[in-house]
Amino acid sequence: MSSTPTLGEDLTRLEEIVRRLEDDDLALESALQLFEEGVTRLKAAQARLSVAEARVLQVLEESGDTGALRLEPMDG
Amino acid sequence: MTSPDEAWSVSRLARAIKRTVEEGAEPVWVRGELVGVKRYPSGHWYFGLRDESAKVDCTLWKFSAARLPAPLEEGQEVFAFGTPNVWEERTALRFNVTRVVSAAGVGAAAQAIERAKQALLADGLLDPARKRPLPPFPLRIAVITSIAGAAVHDIITVAKRRWPGIELLVINSTVQGEGAPAELVAALGRVARLDAIDCCIIGRGGGAREDLAAFNTEAVCRAIAACPVPVISAVGHEVDVTLADLVADVRAATPSQAAEFALPDRREVEARVAALRDALGSRTLAQVAGMQSRLVRTRDRLGNALLEQVRTAERRLLRVEARLPLALERHARAPRERLARVQGRLAPAMRRRVAETHADLGRLAAQLDALSPLAVLGRGYAMARGEEGRLLRRRADFVPGTPFTLTLADGSITARTEAS
Repeated sequence: MSSTPTLGEDLTRLEEIVRRLEDDDLALESALQLFEEGVTRLKAAQARLSVAEARVLQVLEESGDTGALRLEPMDG
Repeated sequence: MTSPDEAWSVSRLARAIKRTVEEGAEPVWVRGELVGVKRYPSGHWYFGLRDESAKVDCTLWKFSAARLPAPLEEGQEVFAFGTPNVWEERTALRFNVTRVVSAAGVGAAAQAIERAKQALLADGLLDPARKRPLPPFPLRIAVITSIAGAAVHDIITVAKRRWPGIELLVINSTVQGEGAPAELVAALGRVARLDAIDCCIIGRGGGAREDLAAFNTEAVCRAIAACPVPVISAVGHEVDVTLADLVADVRAATPSQAAEFALPDRREVEARVAALRDALGSRTLAQVAGMQSRLVRTRDRLGNALLEQVRTAERRLLRVEARLPLALERHARAPRERLARVQGRLAPAMRRRVAETHADLGRLAAQLDALSPLAVLGRGYAMARGEEGRLLRRRADFVPGTPFTLTLADGSITARTEAS
């Protein structure tokens, strides 16, 4: 797996950004940075939600005694 | 009264008796001793069920007999599940049995469950503190069940509805019968060999109590406890709680409910994202607005403070000036003139500085207005930025063929200057 933030991480960070934007002592530069990061994370979250299809795969034992597993599409 | 003219046929009487017995008859469990057990070459079994004061003739048809765990034995104490019916040809009452379990077996099964439970308890596997939380946004879920059963279909249907981006990895396993515990244990072992599984659902659709046996075995329970990801049990029996339910991290009453527990609801998450989007916009606007009003206040205070200093200096000069002639008229004509010259230069210099400061602050405020990302970008303007985020303000800043970034209200795009 890559180090792309998960949806959970994006939402947690977004909530933190919104909280920090309530802080009166925030410098303008920081506020704008937070805003830009927030927009990026919002887009990532929305992209994750727009994935349309669920995938159903059956786990099968590879033939022979290799102990390997193989995944095959399964009709749901 | 009826007369012989209205006599019923035997068949009519037989049918009436049959109807009376069979209509509305619910299947029941009956406990008794097996007597006169006979197995016919056709595969059907005939026997009687007896207690101290009564006996009922029973039939067990071939297709039900195929499910017997062991042949019926004379004198055996059993539980038989069936419905009363009437064999019309002889108007004979039969208890039509579809299931037989040995009473000793039932007792033994209960004891085996109790022994397994004690063993699991001793190893702390039933400790509620062991229970792991489910991941809030799973990407990949393992589903252990029989692909021939209804459970897998229910789970897939719910998953597609709630969280369309999910990947379900179905691991087929027998869920009842002799081989079930070993297959379930092997299936749980496969979960550990699959990559990036977030949680695991193990279960079956509804079944009779004795069909849940596999989920009451110590081996299956230990395999659940050893599973590297949180396990949801969905044994599909509302009344009976199996040992697997007690060891699992979460117990669901049905396979559909297991899928609901495992997956977030897409509509709820969409609402949460929309609320965050609105909050992000309004909080940023509030920040910029707050910054502007603070700057205006600071500018005013700074200006007032400088003006006050100038006024104080002027007043002090006037006082000194008023006293000077008396004291120094004769001896200090020259210093007085010098002072007048200084005073004449000082006041305009101070005023000039105040004016310059006002102008600086005015420029700063104007820049801040331009930086407000939503106020300006939201109206359809865009910010152009070159390398290292430098703002491109003039025509000369755009070098043909060089890429730059356009920041709009909802994000950025990369652009390129065609010709200057």
